[in-house]
Amino acid sequence: MPAPPSRLLVITAVLLGGLSGCATPPPASDPDAVADYRETNDPLEPTNRAIYAFNNAVDAAILKPVAQGYRYVVPARVRGGIHNTLSNLASPVQFSNDVLEGKSRRAGDTTMRFLINSTAGVLGFFDVASDWGYPNHDNDFGITMALWGMPAGPYLFLPVFGPSDPRDAVGLGVNAAMDPFTWVGQGAAVRALDWSRWAMNGIDQRERHLDDIDSIKKTALDPYATFRSLYRQHRTSQIDDARNDNRATIPVWFPQSTTPGQVTYSPTASRN
Amino acid sequence: MIQRRKFMVVTAAWLLPGSLWLTRPAGAQGASDKASALIKSIGDQLVSVVNGPGGERDKRARLTEIIDSGVDVDGVARFCLGRFWRSASAEQQRRYMELFHQVLVNNITSKIGDYRGVRFQMGRTQRRDEDAVVSTVVERPNNPPTNVDWIVSSPAGDPKIIDVVAEGTSLRLTQRQDYASYLSHNNNNIDALINAMRQQVAEAG
Repeated sequence: MPAPPSRLLVITAVLLGGLSGCATPPPASDPDAVADYRETNDPLEPTNRAIYAFNNAVDAAILKPVAQGYRYVVPARVRGGIHNTLSNLASPVQFSNDVLEGKSRRAGDTTMRFLINSTAGVLGFFDVASDWGYPNHDNDFGITMALWGMPAGPYLFLPVFGPSDPRDAVGLGVNAAMDPFTWVGQGAAVRALDWSRWAMNGIDQRERHLDDIDSIKKTALDPYATFRSLYRQHRTSQIDDARNDNRATIPVWFPQSTTPGQVTYSPTASRN
Repeated sequence: MIQRRKFMVVTAAWLLPGSLWLTRPAGAQGASDKASALIKSIGDQLVSVVNGPGGERDKRARLTEIIDSGVDVDGVARFCLGRFWRSASAEQQRRYMELFHQVLVNNITSKIGDYRGVRFQMGRTQRRDEDAVVSTVVERPNNPPTNVDWIVSSPAGDPKIIDVVAEGTSLRLTQRQDYASYLSHNNNNIDALINAMRQQVAEAG
């Protein structure tokens, strides 16, 4: 039985250390080009592009065909249910990060979602909680570190995991370590479940992005740079969403001075 | 630090409505409504073309019409070329602009064109600086629902779309960084970019 997914992260880090080709910065005589180079912030570009090509080959050979087969065989409703189940299993990690970020209302949403969807939602298959006023939100340790004020650092393209940066790469490992399922139980059966959940997550994510990734590859002149741009923008927007969610925790019977989602003064916001 | 920030927040809270009042005479609400109406109308038109009858060529022609009427394509094109717009010759600018119109139609067609059954729901409209941000949720068959914000600017009367932001990613910023990267790997040669765009358009038919 192979090592658990979390341990692979460590191996990844070691491999990355071994492959470090650097991009050549433009000459200082061209200030526009230097500004571009800084903004792009991708000093490992040659290495990153090599890993990007490697991931693409793996994707074309394995992941994409599997995701296409999954879409072909499994009806959309069932796929949605499987996605909900996986998302429900990730609630404990999501909750830990909500708490570490000091976002009490988000932690409350996550708790209610977990309680409602695990029961009324039949072990997470149906997302009843969204209809009952507890919407889902993205969270992981990368976002938590961002809210703690840690900079993202340069762009990194990780084998298997794809677009990242040092902050998110560390976040990936910490997220895996935070996950109770990484530590619960021992033995072949638990290990097998752990692996199937991990593999199913990959297939689910790939299937959800089948059309978008095809469309990006078709329309971009430099898909590598386009994915880099999209990844950063998407992360920035997830981080901003978390940062700006400062709903107050006022009891319902107390006169409500703020509307949900509104940005208000709070001690957490002032530290950022 | 907290004191200063508090002071700034309080000051801003007092100044903001005042400055809005001064710079935007009564028309702010009207501009938001116009922006929202534009997106509703463009959205309905796009959906009816995509879901409607007709061949690919016919649909493409009608999508082009809708995009040209509702989107500030020239402004988006200039934004996407960034600093290279200034260094381009007039002839290069003309050819780039012409190709960009077709590329934009291709990109939008590839994102929504094949989705019979595409739907969208209008959300709220907010003001951001001088522009209006109209939120929608787009549902395509086989795909998870996508949050799409439309940025509408109306500097001279008629509101026009200047950007589309899907799940926090700006279409024009992404395009600009794509071009910038292509140019930096091709000696910043604008003709190389134009040729690549021409090839793209030719391939898409």
